[in-house]
Amino acid sequence: MDFPELRFKDLVARVPIIQGGMGVGISLSGLSSAVANQGGIGVISAAMIGMEEPDIAKNPEEANIRALQKEIAKAREMTSGILGVNIMVALSNFAELVKTSIRERMDIIFAGAGLPFDLPQYQTPESRTKLVPIISSARAARVMCKKWLSRFNYLPDGFVVEGPLAGGHLGFKKEQLENPEFKLENLVQEVVAEVRPFEDEHGQAIPVIAAGGIYSGEDICRFLRLGASGVQLGTRFVATHECDADMAFKQSFIDCTEEDLMIIKSPVGMPGRAMRNQFLEDVEKGGKKPFKCLYHCIVTCDYKQSPYCIASALANAKKGRMHKGFVFAGQTAHRIQEIMSVKELIESLRQEYAQACS
Amino acid sequence: MSVEQKVKEIVVDQLGISADEVKPEAKFVEDLGADSLDLTELIMAMEEEFDIEIDDEKAQELLTIQAVVDFIKANQ
Ligand SMILES: Cc1cc2nc3c(=O)[nH]c(=O)nc-3n(C[C@H](O)[C@H](O)[C@H](O)COP(=O)(O)O)c2cc1C
Repeated sequence: MDFPELRFKDLVARVPIIQGGMGVGISLSGLSSAVANQGGIGVISAAMIGMEEPDIAKNPEEANIRALQKEIAKAREMTSGILGVNIMVALSNFAELVKTSIRERMDIIFAGAGLPFDLPQYQTPESRTKLVPIISSARAARVMCKKWLSRFNYLPDGFVVEGPLAGGHLGFKKEQLENPEFKLENLVQEVVAEVRPFEDEHGQAIPVIAAGGIYSGEDICRFLRLGASGVQLGTRFVATHECDADMAFKQSFIDCTEEDLMIIKSPVGMPGRAMRNQFLEDVEKGGKKPFKCLYHCIVTCDYKQSPYCIASALANAKKGRMHKGFVFAGQTAHRIQEIMSVKELIESLRQEYAQACS
Repeated sequence: MSVEQKVKEIVVDQLGISADEVKPEAKFVEDLGADSLDLTELIMAMEEEFDIEIDDEKAQELLTIQAVVDFIKANQ
């Protein structure tokens, strides 16, 4: 059986795979357009996207908006497929990034790392941009639906449910991460059940997308059978030629063993899954990397207490300067063995899916 | 039913706690164990019950049961 379509109202993806937004600078125009060209949904990460702009330290807000516009234009030149933007709610210029994405007619905005309670406020009457929160519990799904309905009479266009195996920042307490109650299989079914009454009452589908730890076409089959309408993958897309990070960043995924994956306490106030390296070991031992907060990029960042600047650390890793940064990675990163093209990846997932789901 | 009683009832219902924990000065987060989602749900329930609007900034200041009661009485 071939992949089913993934539909957000009038927006239809041939391949029900979303490439998760990855910051800083890991998913930009290169990766997102490649995924969109294969029929999936490519996502540009807006987190500190202006890191390479010359005035980023002096004028971070403007630099980030300018860089986002440039990156969207570049991606649009490379594909006519479906493109989204991932915007963390905790970003201090969240509102401006959202407005820019809507003005630039991005197909979808994915908003996570906090609940985007005021997101529909930025919608314009002519906008067709879909608004999709990233959540980690059925309760969050219910509260989001109720709040958006009461405030804006707007139902979320879908939900990404991110489970405890994902890479990057995680919407769980540290002790929940290993509790089987919170495994993605459960969360997906709970969220699907939670949104059903809203769908019925408003005659509108709310597709649920499963994310975190999905590696093979067989996994995709399993989650679609549990009621998900699509999947979001991060780690697998890092290991592609088109991924916008330096080769050293990608190589660390090939070299990674299971023991290398660790949970860090991120300066932004959430746990995160990352790959152990010298930088993180120094931090673990209490080492500090002296810095001045230049960007004020995250509202919740406790930068005075933080041993390092996370924006700089992630941007360094993206450029392959591993000694001055670290890599976020999902729990499946240790299974990565080679770099392939996005096309090869999607084809292999399609074949595995066909086999598992027939 | 008085505003006090109604607010108390909503808090008990939303947070799943017993009625005698709900003192006027009790803080939602520190004393009653609410998280940020609970707070959002609580505020929404109040808006619905009393037919008022509580904007997000104002909601941040409503930390205790008494604060909610006062706000509702002043805005009804
Ligand atoms: C290197 C890396 C960076 C990420 N950055 C972000 C981000 O900026 N915003 C976000 O919402 N999710 C981020 N994520 C999460 C992914 O979008 C995706 O949901 C997750 O990786 C899915 O789990 P998987 O890696 O097991 O496929 C990141 C993940 C990785 C691996």
